[in-house]
Amino acid sequence: MMRMVALRLLLTLPILLGVSIVAFVLMRALPGDFAQASAGTTTISPEALDQLRRNLGLDRPVWEQYLAWLARALSGDLGTSFATKRPVLGELVPRFMVTAELTLVAGAMALALGGATGLASARLRGRVEWIVRGWNSLLLAVPNFVVATLVVLLFGLYFPTIGIFNYVPFATDPLGNLASMVLPGISLALTVSVTISENTRAAILEVASQDYVMVARAKGLSRGTILRDYLGRNALTPVITVAGLQLAALLGGSILIETIFTIPGMGQYLFDSVTTRDYPAIQGIVLVAATVVLLVNVAVDIAYARVDARVSYD
Amino acid sequence: MYEPAHGVAILARRDALRLALATGALGLAGPALAQGAPRRGGRLTIGADADPIGLDPVTITAFSSYDFTSLLYTGLLRWNAEMKVEPDLATGFEQPDDKTYVFRLRDGVKFHNGQAFDAGDVKHTFDRILAPASASPSATIFASVKSVTVVDRLTVRFDLHAPSAAFLSYLATNPTGAIVPRGVDGLNTAPVGTGPFSFVSYEPNQQFVLKGNPDYYERGQPYLDQVVFRFFKDQASLTSALRSRAIDMTWFKDPKVSAQVVRTSPDLVSAPGKTTRTFPVWINMKAPPLSDVRVRRALSLATDRAACLQTVLGGSGKVAAMVPESHVGGYDGVGEMPYYRTDAAAARRLLAEAGHPNGIDLGDYLVVAANPLDVACAQILQQQWAAAGIKVAIKPMETAPLIAMWLKGEYPTLLSVALSWSPDPDAIVSRISSMHPQGKGAGMADATLDAMIVAARSILDRGKRAEAYMAIQRHVAENAYCLDIYQYPLRWEAWWSYAKGYVPLAANIRSFVRTAWIDK
Repeated sequence: MMRMVALRLLLTLPILLGVSIVAFVLMRALPGDFAQASAGTTTISPEALDQLRRNLGLDRPVWEQYLAWLARALSGDLGTSFATKRPVLGELVPRFMVTAELTLVAGAMALALGGATGLASARLRGRVEWIVRGWNSLLLAVPNFVVATLVVLLFGLYFPTIGIFNYVPFATDPLGNLASMVLPGISLALTVSVTISENTRAAILEVASQDYVMVARAKGLSRGTILRDYLGRNALTPVITVAGLQLAALLGGSILIETIFTIPGMGQYLFDSVTTRDYPAIQGIVLVAATVVLLVNVAVDIAYARVDARVSYD
Repeated sequence: MYEPAHGVAILARRDALRLALATGALGLAGPALAQGAPRRGGRLTIGADADPIGLDPVTITAFSSYDFTSLLYTGLLRWNAEMKVEPDLATGFEQPDDKTYVFRLRDGVKFHNGQAFDAGDVKHTFDRILAPASASPSATIFASVKSVTVVDRLTVRFDLHAPSAAFLSYLATNPTGAIVPRGVDGLNTAPVGTGPFSFVSYEPNQQFVLKGNPDYYERGQPYLDQVVFRFFKDQASLTSALRSRAIDMTWFKDPKVSAQVVRTSPDLVSAPGKTTRTFPVWINMKAPPLSDVRVRRALSLATDRAACLQTVLGGSGKVAAMVPESHVGGYDGVGEMPYYRTDAAAARRLLAEAGHPNGIDLGDYLVVAANPLDVACAQILQQQWAAAGIKVAIKPMETAPLIAMWLKGEYPTLLSVALSWSPDPDAIVSRISSMHPQGKGAGMADATLDAMIVAARSILDRGKRAEAYMAIQRHVAENAYCLDIYQYPLRWEAWWSYAKGYVPLAANIRSFVRTAWIDK
């Protein structure tokens, strides 16, 4: 088990290297650069633009820029943001914490809602099943940014006294901070909850038709025991996989949700950095996001072994 | 010209009334007196739609930074509410000849760090702007400056290479003419100026906090203790924030949204502002068919500018030529312009003459995807042109690459980039000079126009200069080198009525936060 974990962690390194190269090349392949993007239609001479590029090191060959970035990144220095002229790492850490919190809140909401509706539709069937499946189809058809915009407009129009843009850092006001995460969390969680709900339902239905469940029922075990020890635990494996995969969706969704709810997280930072072609910032964000997704994948594998006795990595 | 739709007309009248109330006796007694005695203290929260990109006025290029530099720094001159240049850090100036300006400076002015301001700082600022290593966007603007000389502690002399009509306008513009202190580095993250407000803190994507400068040189100003900018990238969020009073003041990109927001509450003041922005269709004339003036004229005749204005902006604007009305020589939206009438039949005839009796396909028309107003207007133009047998395919694009193509003149046929306010009309018309890389790239080759543009630069008399720019615009319309559709304010400002003493400025900065106060 330990060997597997160590091996998987070691494997993430070449993947991260690959991701950083792809991000680096892709961003530079896009037309327009920071000098131009930040100037917009402002009158600026081509000479001044070239000088700006030289000052930022953008005149050097791409591979040279990449190696210089890599050398610094390996020593823990992610460079200086073009836009804010501050170290990227210093900008990134607090924003990452905010996005991590939002993702966790939304993830918990999605799991609770998806798990509950999935379980209900699988066990209660009948009308409940149709209500849940209708609800899920509706959510699947409405993207999270629509939900978020509607929430923002609804509160702005009908409940203007309820502040929805009251983001405060956790350290200053923990309760206020959690409260400010509720609406963005729901907006982000709804779509993701559908996937979890449908997978939970399918997994439970599949497990429920297994012989051992019938035997358990024949033995006269209580419904609660069957649900907990037979259905729940066996149905959990696919649900965990899906939940892990959905983390990437949550991270992606946070770009829109943070922008709409003006939460100073990594998503909004990425949005700004891509629009202004702030290469060092984009590079840093991509690296952090890739690391998180890879680590979650490792964590999902470990979780398999914990819930499913058949899975062994030794 | 056109009949405004009923609802729109009522709104416009209400807005105008509110603006009149808000700015009241402005012309007579100044904004502050119009609303009673100013109250000291308090905080004004402004909703901003973009973070600043740097805070050093010498090196910044992004429009989103100007809101902040215009409160942090001041220059020798400034624009007043009527868009006339007036002294600021200077107390006045003399002009011994066309190429020399001598400025007398205010005594006793201090930078936010306590350092005294003098002529040495003015020289330092312009030395920095003109040093190639600074990569300052103002370097081309002040290319006419030969030298800046410190005469004494409070007198500074500018020697120019040639007479420049735009010189004073640029000095009055923030950040272009903003003065920075000598011996202070790192202004991008720790700005130090002579402005009415000083820097407190900036948390990206969250808020930017400024506090009143107790040493500010205008007696009694600023009235506010604190100004806080909060960032809302999404226009719907901005609207909700204003309604819920999370912010006291903001500006909107869409006049219809602004009108709707104000309609929901009688305590909101809305100010449409002056028309500063034009929406042009830039034409690449390098190759046929657009190298043929008849095809371009057909395009102009097929265009119903008033209908675009009505549909996209609900009539909140005016028909445009190259120079917006708030400039010297700006077009007022009603004067006669060649090929401005809408006549699809005449357009078809011109096309037939040019050898396209069955209509023509011009291919891609590139627009900025991030600007919904631009996209909406492009769609209407597409329909109007189709009626005259001209087909285009609209291609919405990301801003940065589109601007890169536009600046080099390397776009297939048609492209739209709206132009914001600039201190001098030369910055607009010189883009289609064949001596400008942009005009040259787009296939311009008109020696007459080039000469007209160069001549207009050094006409110092305001009236004569205005005539020169009208002539240039008529010449451009005559040849349909560029198709200007409408002009409008860059932003529609709105604020709660308890924020008083504020006046929107056509220069697209919020200078008059310095005279604002809160009366809740």
